[in-house]
Amino acid sequence: MQDPLVLIIDDEESMRDSCSQILLKGRYRVETAPDGTTGLQKIRDLRPDAVIVDLKMPGISGFEVLENLRLIDPRIMAIVVTGYATVESAVEAMKKGAFDFLPKPFTPEELRMILSRALEYRRLALEAERLRREKKLLEDNVITMVSHQLRSPLVAIQQYFEVILADIAGRVEDKPKEMIRRASERLTGLLNLINDWLDLARIDQGRLVGKLKPLDPGKMMRKLVEFMTPLAKEFEVTLEWSGPEGPNFEVLGDEETLEQVFTNLISNAIAYNKPQGRVRIGLRADPDFVVIEVQDTGIGISQDHLPFIFDQFFQVSRREGKKMKGSGLGLSIAKKIVEAHDGRIDASSELGIGSTFTVWIPKVRREAEPV
Amino acid sequence: MTTIAPKILVIDDDPDFRAAVTAILASASYDVIAADSAAEGKTKILAERPDLILLDIMMDGLFDGFSLCHSVKTSKEFEGVRTTPIIFISAVKDIAGARFGFKGEEQGMADPDDYVDKPVAPADLLARIDRLLKK
Repeated sequence: MQDPLVLIIDDEESMRDSCSQILLKGRYRVETAPDGTTGLQKIRDLRPDAVIVDLKMPGISGFEVLENLRLIDPRIMAIVVTGYATVESAVEAMKKGAFDFLPKPFTPEELRMILSRALEYRRLALEAERLRREKKLLEDNVITMVSHQLRSPLVAIQQYFEVILADIAGRVEDKPKEMIRRASERLTGLLNLINDWLDLARIDQGRLVGKLKPLDPGKMMRKLVEFMTPLAKEFEVTLEWSGPEGPNFEVLGDEETLEQVFTNLISNAIAYNKPQGRVRIGLRADPDFVVIEVQDTGIGISQDHLPFIFDQFFQVSRREGKKMKGSGLGLSIAKKIVEAHDGRIDASSELGIGSTFTVWIPKVRREAEPV
Repeated sequence: MTTIAPKILVIDDDPDFRAAVTAILASASYDVIAADSAAEGKTKILAERPDLILLDIMMDGLFDGFSLCHSVKTSKEFEGVRTTPIIFISAVKDIAGARFGFKGEEQGMADPDDYVDKPVAPADLLARIDRLLKK
């Protein structure tokens, strides 16, 4: 490890020399600059650990150096020295990010003490940063490990069930086959629950939503509608899509989590529907937002329950006979994802008639777009 | 004329999963060989020259699957088997990317030819294998 590098910025040569002498005795590496502009250039090039800067200099002042230093690297410690020490200048220097303030004249001891405190502060700050980075890496790994360890055995069981149910492992009588089928459904529910809990763990770390990139919401929704059609058929429900054909506008989004939101809304709309019911999925744009609506002709939600549906674990009782595989977390996760996109989600409903879920996502403004 | 059944190599550290998938593949008359680690997988790829590889992304806590796929597709060692189609299988949701996209490119790794979630639906897996073998 190299000795700390200290840059001295002062227009007085005698000051630069005497400070250098003091610091070199104390096992520091020293650089100097006769004015603010040279000083800032040396900061950019050399990235010192600390800077000692005179407030009053011809050309750019010590205050300006402080302001620019903060922009270059706020972790570089600044100690301000001046022969014109006033409370006002001290306060202003601190406000501009100086670590401490040393009025002239000062003793070598005083200079070394202040510098030593400043560098200790810097050491701790850098260490804290490093630990935060490590913690994040570990957390990433923990989530992955937990996910793998919880899912692996369940998935192995489910895989055997799939093989048996597909008659690949030989002929199975109806009764045991039905039991295996039910067991498999319960297992799917458990796997979904684990996924939901992992999502929640990621939300807590602010890492549920990935990097936002431009994407075509129309294309995404059309793909989803196609993907959800088999499920709709299973529930005897028709999916209707109304939206623009070509790419008309873009949003900034994380495709994976947005797909999760709409898969959730559409599967709810299907599952809570009446036989021969309809799910209308529409996409349109208003000046600032892309608006996506999922409307069903289902059992609806009572006005009493409506304010709570985005709460964690809230579940309305199901349609008779069909076992839903939900965990009650779906809508609360959906809301968090939408909000992470700076968007909004809302629901309206009439008991016995149906519900409409509306999602607003900010549009990406493109150059030639008419307002 | 007798046709030789295509040979499929299953690389997965879970013995139950290997057993279940082997049953699926055997039901479609494929010849199945197995490996329980990336290291064993490497050896068997070169020794057996399978027609297709099923590869678990995460084995024994390491993302060996990614690097093995990358090696097969890019390194000199595997030049002779470079065109072998590879299907990733994984129990870990979201790690390899969305259902509709693969994020390996973000780490500069070679893409597999296809990607399925565990548990696999037998008909779905067989359809994907069939599609890749026909190419």
